[in-house]
Amino acid sequence: MINPAHDPQAITRILFQDFPLWMMVVFYISAVAAMAMFVYGCYIQVRKYWRGQPISLKQMQQRIGLMLRDIVSHRTLRRRDTSAGIMHAAIFFCFATLFVGTATITLEYDILKPIAGWTFWYGDFYLWFSLLMDLAGVGVGVGLVYMMYRRKWLALPKLDYHRPDRQTAEPDYDRSWYRLEDWLFLWNLIIIIVTGYVLEASRLVWLQTDHLVWDYRWWSPIGTSVALLMHDFGLSAQGAGELRYYLWWFHGLIAFLFIALLPFTKAKHMFTAIASLSLRNAQPTARLPLTDPDAETIGVRSITDFNWKQLLHTDACTKCGRCHEACPANASGFPLSPRDMVLTLRELSNNTLQGRKIPMVDDLKAVGDGVNQIRSETLWSCRTCSACVEICPVGIEHVPMIVEMRRALVEDGEMDAAVQTALQNVQKKGNSIGENKRKRAAWTKKLDFTIKDARKEAVDLLWFVGDYASFDPRYQKVAQSFARILQASGINFGILYEAEMTAGNDVRRVGEEGLFEHLAETNIAKLAACEFERIVTTDPHSFNTLKNEYPDFGGNYDVIHATQLVEQMLTDGMIPLIRQANRKVTYHDSCHLGRLNKEYEAPRQVLKKIGVEVVEMPRNQDNSFCCGAGGGRIWTPDPLDMDKPAELRMQEAAQIEAIDAFVVNCPKCMNMFEDAVKSTGNDDKLEVIEVIELIASCMQLESSESNETDTTTPTEISEG
Amino acid sequence: MKILVPVKQVAVLDEDFELRDDGKDVDVDFLDYELNEWDDFAWEAALQLQEQHGDVIEIVPMTVGPEEASDSLLKCLGKGGERAIRVWHESLQDSDPAVIARVIAKVAQREQADMVFAGTLASDHGYSQTGVSVAAELNWAKAAVVSKVNISPNASCIQVNRELEGGLEESIEVQCPAVLTIQLGINEPRYASLRGIKQAKAKPIEVLSHTDLGLQDSDVGIAGSRSRVRRMVMPAKGQAELIEGSVVEQAARLADIVKQLRGGV
Ligand code: SF4
Ligand code: SF4
Repeated sequence: MINPAHDPQAITRILFQDFPLWMMVVFYISAVAAMAMFVYGCYIQVRKYWRGQPISLKQMQQRIGLMLRDIVSHRTLRRRDTSAGIMHAAIFFCFATLFVGTATITLEYDILKPIAGWTFWYGDFYLWFSLLMDLAGVGVGVGLVYMMYRRKWLALPKLDYHRPDRQTAEPDYDRSWYRLEDWLFLWNLIIIIVTGYVLEASRLVWLQTDHLVWDYRWWSPIGTSVALLMHDFGLSAQGAGELRYYLWWFHGLIAFLFIALLPFTKAKHMFTAIASLSLRNAQPTARLPLTDPDAETIGVRSITDFNWKQLLHTDACTKCGRCHEACPANASGFPLSPRDMVLTLRELSNNTLQGRKIPMVDDLKAVGDGVNQIRSETLWSCRTCSACVEICPVGIEHVPMIVEMRRALVEDGEMDAAVQTALQNVQKKGNSIGENKRKRAAWTKKLDFTIKDARKEAVDLLWFVGDYASFDPRYQKVAQSFARILQASGINFGILYEAEMTAGNDVRRVGEEGLFEHLAETNIAKLAACEFERIVTTDPHSFNTLKNEYPDFGGNYDVIHATQLVEQMLTDGMIPLIRQANRKVTYHDSCHLGRLNKEYEAPRQVLKKIGVEVVEMPRNQDNSFCCGAGGGRIWTPDPLDMDKPAELRMQEAAQIEAIDAFVVNCPKCMNMFEDAVKSTGNDDKLEVIEVIELIASCMQLESSESNETDTTTPTEISEG
Repeated sequence: MKILVPVKQVAVLDEDFELRDDGKDVDVDFLDYELNEWDDFAWEAALQLQEQHGDVIEIVPMTVGPEEASDSLLKCLGKGGERAIRVWHESLQDSDPAVIARVIAKVAQREQADMVFAGTLASDHGYSQTGVSVAAELNWAKAAVVSKVNISPNASCIQVNRELEGGLEESIEVQCPAVLTIQLGINEPRYASLRGIKQAKAKPIEVLSHTDLGLQDSDVGIAGSRSRVRRMVMPAKGQAELIEGSVVEQAARLADIVKQLRGGV
C-alpha cells in the first residue's frame, strides 16, 4: 500500500495547510462560538422539558437496551416503509461515521497532540480512514437524495402537512414552514457533503505534484473522480488552491451553522429521538397513567401540566406521518391527526417555554380553540386504538397525552351529550347502556342450564361478562354460545350476576378517572369475596383493564381472553368438536387484544383448528385498523356523512375474494361491523361472526331457541 | 347577588313496577332517584352566570328532602358552588307543592337571596307549581318556562326569554327580586365527574328543619297541605306489537295479525 520510499508519518492531511495565523484564529473562534451556541441551545431545550411535571423512571437499563436495539436494527423505521428505513439507516450510520471521523481528527489534533504529543492519523490508518469517510459521504448523499425524491416526486400523503383539525382558512391550516424546514435541512446536509467532496478534490488538484498526496489519491475515490473532472475542465493547481480557501471556509461555516442551530431545528431529532426511544413505556395505552386522587385538579390543561417526557416527545417527532396514516379517526375525516396534535403541542411549548420566564397561565393553555391549542373535538375523535403509538418510529406515546387532556375536559364537564349520558348511566347503573342493574344476567335465561353464581360458590373460572355481552342483543348470543361451550366442556365456571359492573376500560379512556377508580375498587371488592382461579372474558376491553389496570388498584388476577382459553382447551382436547367449519374467512384483530396485548396468534390458531382458513386483510396484526369504537367512541354516534372507520375496514375486507365471513373477537367490533356490513352493502357477501360462535357451531351447540333470531320474537310493549 | 336554586331529587320508575299497598304511590323497591332534569338546567344557568360575572354572584343549591336527597346537592356542588342547604323533618313528609314552596320561600328570606332559579317542573309528579308558588309566597316577580336569562348584577331588572307555543319566544323584563322557572334546553348542563362529586363532600351542607325557618308542624306535611294524593292507577292499555325482521317476515306477520283480527285464522 504505502510506497516504502515514503515515510508513513508524512502520509496524512496537513490541517490548515498554508493558512495564515489569523485565519486559524478566526476558525477557532467560530468553532468555539458554534459549540457555545449549541450548548446554550441544548440548555434551552432541556430547561423547556424540565418545566414539565416530574416523573420517576424505572428500569432505565432495560429501556436503554431496547432503544439501542431499535436504533441499531432501525426496526422502527423500517416497519411499513422499508425504503425509507433503509435510506434513513444509510444517512444515520454514514453520518455517524463522518461525525466520529471528524471527532477523531479533533481528538488527535486538538487534544492528544498538543497535550501528549501523540499522533496516529497517518499512514495506513489515515488511508483507510480516508476511504471510509469518502464512502460514508456517498451513503449520506444517496440517502438525502432519496429523501428529497420522496418529498418531491413520491408526494406521499403522509408527508402532506395540511391538517385535518383545522379549516382551510385558518392561519395554521397549512404548515408550510415545516416543508421549508424539511427542505432546508436536506439541502444544508447535501451542501455540506457536496462541498466536502469538492473541497477534497480541489486539494488534490492543488497538490497534484506532491507524491505524498497524489500517489494515494484513490483512497478517496469520490474526491479523486471529482478532482479529475475539475482537472479536465482546465482547473490549474493554483486555481484549485484558491478555490480550496473559499470552499474550506464555506464548508466550515455552514457546518458550524448546522451545529449552532441544531438544538432549534429539525436536526435535533438526532438527540430527542434517541431520548424518546429510551423513555418508552412497555404499555403506554394498555395501562394508563394513575393520578393523585387527592389532587386539586387532574389531567392536563396547560402545556406545563404534561410531564417532561411528554414535552420531549413533542420535540422528537420527525413529522414522518406514519401515525397520521395509521390513525382511523384521520382516515375517516375526523379532525384528529396524532402527528398534528404532537406538533401543535411542540409549537406551544416552543413559544412559551423557551424564554427565561414562563408566561401567565392563560398563555399556557393546551386545550382550546386558539392557534397552537388542541381542540376538544380533536380529543374526542380519538379511539385510543394505539395505532399511532404502535407505529411511531421515535416512540411517542400519544394516547396517554390524549387521555390526560380528556381528564381535564371531563373534570370541567365538557363532553358530548352522548358521552355524558353513558357516564351517568355508569354512575347510576354500573353499565354504560343504561339498563337496569337487575337485568345484567337476563341473557342467561335462554340457556337450558343455570350458570353458577360465583358469589355463592367456588368456581375454577370466573367469567367477567362485560356490558355488551350482557346487554347487546347481538352479542348476547355470543355470550350464550360461550356459556354452552364451557358447559359442554365440563368447566367449573361462574359469573357475578348483578354484582358485576362495567370494568371501566372506556370510562378510563374517556378521561373519567374518578368513576374508573370507583368501578375498579367496587369490582375488586366484589371479586375479593369470590373464590376462583382465573378470570375469563370475551371482551378484550375488560380483558385489558382487568389484566393491566386493576393491579394498580390491588386487583391481581390471572386474566385470560376467551380465545386464549379455547385455544388451550382445543390443544388439550377438551372441546368436543363434532365437525369442521370448512370456511374461508378474514379475521379482524381487535385493538385491545391485538396491539394492546399482543395476542395475534391464539384466535388464528383456534380458527385453524376448527377448519377455518383465514385470508388476511392487507392491514393485520399490529397494523390492524380499529373498528372505531374504542376510547368511548362507541357512545357517540359517528356523523352519517362520514366514512366510519368500520366502513373503511369492511371495504378492505370486501376486496378479498371468496370469503364468506368477517370474524371478530370483541363485542364492540361486533357492534360496529354489524352496522358497517349493512351500510357498505356487503351483508349478502359477508357474515360478521365471532370466533366463539364458529366454535360453538362446530360443536353443534346452538339450541333451537338461540338459532331463532330475536327479531322474530314479538316484543310486548305493554300488557292489557 | 345571591341566587338560590331549589332542586328536587326525583323518583325514576323501573320498567316494571308495582304500586304500594295503599295504592297512593309506587312501591319504593321499584324506584331509583336522581336530580330532576329541569333543576339540572336551572343549576347550570346559575353556574354560567357565576362564570360570567365572577364572585359578585353567589349561587346556593337547596333541597327539601331526607338525607338521601343530599346526593342531588352533591351533584350540584360537584360542578360548582361552595355550600348547600337541605331542609328536612319527618313532618315534612307528603307535603304538597305549596308547602314545599313555603319552605323554599323561608330559606330564600333567611339567605337574603336576590333571585330564585327553579326548574319548570319535576319529572316525577310534574305539578309545575313549586317555582311559581315560591314567587307568590315571597310576593316577588316571576317568569315561568324561561329559555334565556340575561343579568347584570346590581341592575334592578333582568331580561329573560320565555318559551311560548309554536316555537315563539317572548322577551320580557322582570323586576328584581324574582323567581324564574327554567325550561329544558336553556343550556347544556355539564357533566359532574365522580371526582368532583367526591370532592364536593368536603363542602358544607347546612341541614335545617321547618322549625328553624319559623314554620310550625301544622304549616307543613299533610297538615299544611291543601291537596293530597288519593290513589294512583294504571289505566288499561291496548296491545301493541313491534314488527321486526326482513320485509318478507314483516309482511307475513302483518298478514297474520290482520287475519287474526278478522277472526279468520
Ligand atoms: S389512538 Fe388511534 S384514533 Fe387515537 S390518535 Fe392514535 S391512531 Fe388516532
Ligand atoms: S408522532 Fe411519531 S409517527 Fe407521528 S409523525 Fe411524529 S414521529 Fe412520525
